[in-house]
Amino acid sequence: MSEGEGQASLTVASRLSGYLRGGGVIAPLLTALIAFFVGGLVIAVTGANPFSTYKAIFDGSGLNWLFPWISHDDRTTAALNLQQTLITMTPLLLAGLAVAYAFRAGLFNIGGQGQYFAGLYIGVWVGSSLHGLPGFLHIVLALVLGTLAGAVWGGIAGFLKATTGANEVISTIMLNYVALWVGVWAFGLGGPLHSDHDPNVPISNPVVKNARLPVFWGDPELQGLHVGIFLAGVAMIVFWVLLNRSVAGYEARAVGFNPDAAEYGGIHAGRTYTKVMLVCGAFAGLAGVIDILGWQFAVATNDIQNAGVVGAGFIGIAVALLGRNTMVGVFFSALLFGALINGTSVRNLDPAVFPPELATNLTLIIQGLIVLLVSAPVIVTALYKLRPRRTRPNEDAPA
Amino acid sequence: MSTAVTARRLDPTSVERPVLAGWGGIVLALLGLWLTLPPVLVRTPLPSLVLAAVAAGLGVWVVREGQRRLGWGAVVVAVLCAVGAVAATRSGQGNLERVIVWSALAAAMLRFATPLVFAALGGVISERSGVVNIGLEGMMLVGAFFGIYGTDLTGTWIGGLLIGMIAGGLLGLLHAVFAVSLRADQIVSGFAINFIALGLTGYIFLHHYGDQGTPEGLPQVPDISLPIDWIPFFGPALDRLNLLVWVALILVFLVWLFVFRTPAGLRLRSVGENPRAAATVGISVYRTRYLAVIASGMLAAMGGAFLSIGFVHSFSQNMTAGRGFIALAVVIVGKWRPVAALAAALMFGFSQALAQRLPVFSESSATLLQALPYVVTLIAVAGLVGRSTPPAADGVPYSKE
Amino acid sequence: MSVLYGLYRPDEGELLLDGRPVAIESPRQAIELGIGMVHQHFMLVPVMTVAENIVLASEPRKGLLLDTKAAARRVRELSDRFGLSVDPDARVGDISVGQQQRVEILRALDRGAEVLILDEPTAVLTAQETAELFKILRTLTAEGKSIVFISHKLGEVLEISDRVSVLRRGKKIETVPTEGATEESLARMMVGRDVLFRVAKEPTEPGAPLLEVEDLEVTDDRGLPAVRGLSLQVRAGEIVGIAGVDDNGQGELVETIAGLRRATAGVIRVDGRDVTAADVRGKLEAGIGHIAEDRQRRGLVLDFSLAENLCLRDYRRPPIAKRGLISPKRMNERAALLLDEYDVRGGSCESLALSLSGGNQQKVVIAREISEDPKVLVAAQPTRGLDVGAIEFVHRRLLEQRDAGRGVLLVSLELEEIRSLSDRVLVMYDGRVVAELGPEASEEEFGVAMLGGGQREQV
Repeated sequence: MSEGEGQASLTVASRLSGYLRGGGVIAPLLTALIAFFVGGLVIAVTGANPFSTYKAIFDGSGLNWLFPWISHDDRTTAALNLQQTLITMTPLLLAGLAVAYAFRAGLFNIGGQGQYFAGLYIGVWVGSSLHGLPGFLHIVLALVLGTLAGAVWGGIAGFLKATTGANEVISTIMLNYVALWVGVWAFGLGGPLHSDHDPNVPISNPVVKNARLPVFWGDPELQGLHVGIFLAGVAMIVFWVLLNRSVAGYEARAVGFNPDAAEYGGIHAGRTYTKVMLVCGAFAGLAGVIDILGWQFAVATNDIQNAGVVGAGFIGIAVALLGRNTMVGVFFSALLFGALINGTSVRNLDPAVFPPELATNLTLIIQGLIVLLVSAPVIVTALYKLRPRRTRPNEDAPA
Repeated sequence: MSTAVTARRLDPTSVERPVLAGWGGIVLALLGLWLTLPPVLVRTPLPSLVLAAVAAGLGVWVVREGQRRLGWGAVVVAVLCAVGAVAATRSGQGNLERVIVWSALAAAMLRFATPLVFAALGGVISERSGVVNIGLEGMMLVGAFFGIYGTDLTGTWIGGLLIGMIAGGLLGLLHAVFAVSLRADQIVSGFAINFIALGLTGYIFLHHYGDQGTPEGLPQVPDISLPIDWIPFFGPALDRLNLLVWVALILVFLVWLFVFRTPAGLRLRSVGENPRAAATVGISVYRTRYLAVIASGMLAAMGGAFLSIGFVHSFSQNMTAGRGFIALAVVIVGKWRPVAALAAALMFGFSQALAQRLPVFSESSATLLQALPYVVTLIAVAGLVGRSTPPAADGVPYSKE
Repeated sequence: MSVLYGLYRPDEGELLLDGRPVAIESPRQAIELGIGMVHQHFMLVPVMTVAENIVLASEPRKGLLLDTKAAARRVRELSDRFGLSVDPDARVGDISVGQQQRVEILRALDRGAEVLILDEPTAVLTAQETAELFKILRTLTAEGKSIVFISHKLGEVLEISDRVSVLRRGKKIETVPTEGATEESLARMMVGRDVLFRVAKEPTEPGAPLLEVEDLEVTDDRGLPAVRGLSLQVRAGEIVGIAGVDDNGQGELVETIAGLRRATAGVIRVDGRDVTAADVRGKLEAGIGHIAEDRQRRGLVLDFSLAENLCLRDYRRPPIAKRGLISPKRMNERAALLLDEYDVRGGSCESLALSLSGGNQQKVVIAREISEDPKVLVAAQPTRGLDVGAIEFVHRRLLEQRDAGRGVLLVSLELEEIRSLSDRVLVMYDGRVVAELGPEASEEEFGVAMLGGGQREQV
């Protein structure tokens, strides 16, 4: 009868922990299935055939490359498509890590997009200047500075929360828009980083050939798969070690589950928030640099404005939540979303089956449904009978 | 025990003077800036700088006295005003007179503030019931799309407005199902609402209108012409505003009346403060929260509809561009009170109005100024959030057991 | 009683009201049937006024609007009629706990309650407030109201009731007239056997002062003074108890000693070293162990494993962590030893803290704090919400610490606990120590001191 107060101090992390912990792979799979089912209904309402649409999206993603029975010609196409899917997946994976790490500390990082922009901008700036620098050095410099830029942009939100208590949800959203407009201004006509060669197109200078990430699978001229995906792999390992084996990660998780108990353990919640957001920003910033050094090579202001709505940083939220904020989960859900986005791209989706411009919005709906379903652990628990986890004895039941 | 409590609460007047000084400093700094602007147009920054220095000094003193937030606020305002004053005295008088037309700025401020006011009122009602509604952005967006789509279907803006509000209400219902019945994490489910709204409106918009965009010449919410243009300042500011601008202002009053002066408002607040207490006197927490969130969706949708059929007269994907999030900030800065929220919305509206008029100086820097409202939001939330206390049960799912 | 009030539905059985069977499905229906309830945790909205709280859900109207004047009038009429004085326009958050309880009672009466259920109504009251409450209850019964008074304080039950029903594990054991019943006879019915609450305790000779607090001043969350010039000393090998009614600054005092809150004035010394300005980590390193008042909120991270919880205090130091990385092997090894040594049941290193019972959770907390080898152990309400077995365990451990030559500062609202464990007892009232008593002092002496009636003594 005595301890009824605990409720209010529950954090996002602890409220979602039922979902995050329970259910193994089945809960996220079911979540995705339901979302795709509802997406199928939307397709059907529009008059297209959901099955052939999803089949076309699947083939467009190149995931059929994994099937051994795919024949020679199809295989070549599939390989090309799969390369694109993996290129798309790389920033999603990193952005997913950026959101997931924050979630584990009880923070909702909606600012992945802004942090991505920060990495993108610094990446293109460094990559397009400093001509004559040796390639490897140039790449490393761009990667490091871009990652740092993302970290700073994320750290601002953490610092504001630590010092003034400003809610990170609102501050990260605002920082997204600030980053967006700074980019539109900087690379737009008359902006300080506007192209030297194209006076009438709002675009940046291109990244010099030397500073581009090497392609290891496919034709560099046809946008083959660059080594960025390995960097993302390294980031995954860093994420895991940081979270599960490091003092900083212990502090982050303690604050995420219970800030009061963390304080009692001598952990400063504020400092932890700042550190966590620095790390998150670094992940998202890295995503930005990899995109610019890997395949975009130049920043156009239209792309910035589009990404401000459906960019990797936003999709990272769905990626993290579906992936239950774990390393492996984020990997697979990034693959899923990468496949979905690439499979619905104008280049890959046959307009006769389903109009690709609608498909982008379909992807958004599916994302929204996934996030919605994840928000209520009750649903997951009901779908997949979890072991009763909150077995507190009566004496401590909230009054 | 009781005497101890009252004795502790009676804190003497020591707080008063720094507070006065802090606000006084802010007023002085603003006065200094005002001197350099039309119609006064002092062409030297000296008096403004002196005033700003005094303000900053007061701010530092206030910080020393323990009112840190207010003190730093005064210092920041002083610095900004000093910079503004220098910039103003350096720029051409003609440009200044073109940009700073107070009545036009006021009219634009009202126009930009209106969608925020609608959405913020929705936020106030929802959060007063204990449900954080971060889905305001999405609800505005469906209001904007279905407002114009409905106008297209029914041929009248009234039909459009109603259909838009119904769409917003339905999205509110969806949020309520998750936030209330399924006890979802409200921030996450609210954010999902935004994704869904973005995808859904984009989907139907492209499916229905394709590349053409919404048709021209659809009926619009009419402007209200008032025969008051002979009154200085107020005349030109208020004589031709959209009907929905006035509706928003009236709604501020009505929502205030509802929340603080009616039995239903009392119940709403009790649910948001202590749902268990409300339940024990027989108030249905679920029903109250459902109604509040649905109402919040409808209000936000009105704000969106104003954008599409009252202001811009067309729809484009993601046209709300974060206004729903700014409205959330408005709710916080406005301390969950309708009238204070109006004041906060006007501040954001002013920053947008200013950003819109500043391109006179430089085309390219004007783009940068598009970020102004977001920066203002950031500063406001960082500067004020510590002082405002949300309803006690805001964001906490309620379970009957 | 939650069933009576319609918060829960009964699984079987029926309720009779005035001899007729009724089904109560909601609080609203209970209210209509004339059942009023005063909850242990008050069901009030602190930011609203007394009048608003009382009329909530049956508001007087003026047109569409709330008639605040009529509401205040109604409250005044009620309070005059039953002799419960309250200020209708005061904010509930600003009035005392005793007055808040009156608001609850008035609200039930406002709804025409004939049967009034009071759930542990005196738990939060001072003796004086309790006496006032009893006066009110007698007035009400004189008016013909029926009262169900739920309490585990036998003395109060005997004082106020006409008949007593003893419940044990959801079953009624017996109903007896109060006349003729004694505390012992009721206690026997409650536990099913004779109980004797005594802790075997060897007298010790206290040594040098380990914890010294001088003229400490601390403010609460609202910035109002909570601890006002308090001084105390805990010497090696003694348990110093702090008695007092809840919310007289004990929480703030403990948090300040533990480093969770900053002192605004005064000095805290541990073993002669000034640690006033130290934060949690500094206080810990100086030798302060802290069994937090709320183990679920403060003491444990419920979603962490037991091993992770056991290193909450030293996760960043060797042997647990080296060069910023935590070794799960060393963490688990040590946890296994501690779990074994402190007899924590129902979980291993990997189990989550939330899967344990309250008693075992508390064992984890105690294991962690003692394993840090503190000089002084500050125990705040260490047995709150625990069953008898766990209470015994905690008490035994605290005595062990004392006998091992550590200082123990025990803060508890349970006077019995304080008296049976402590070597000296300080009584706190309104942020000050108002009396120092031996544990053998009479209940009356304690009662007077806890109400601030005692002479202030220099400790």
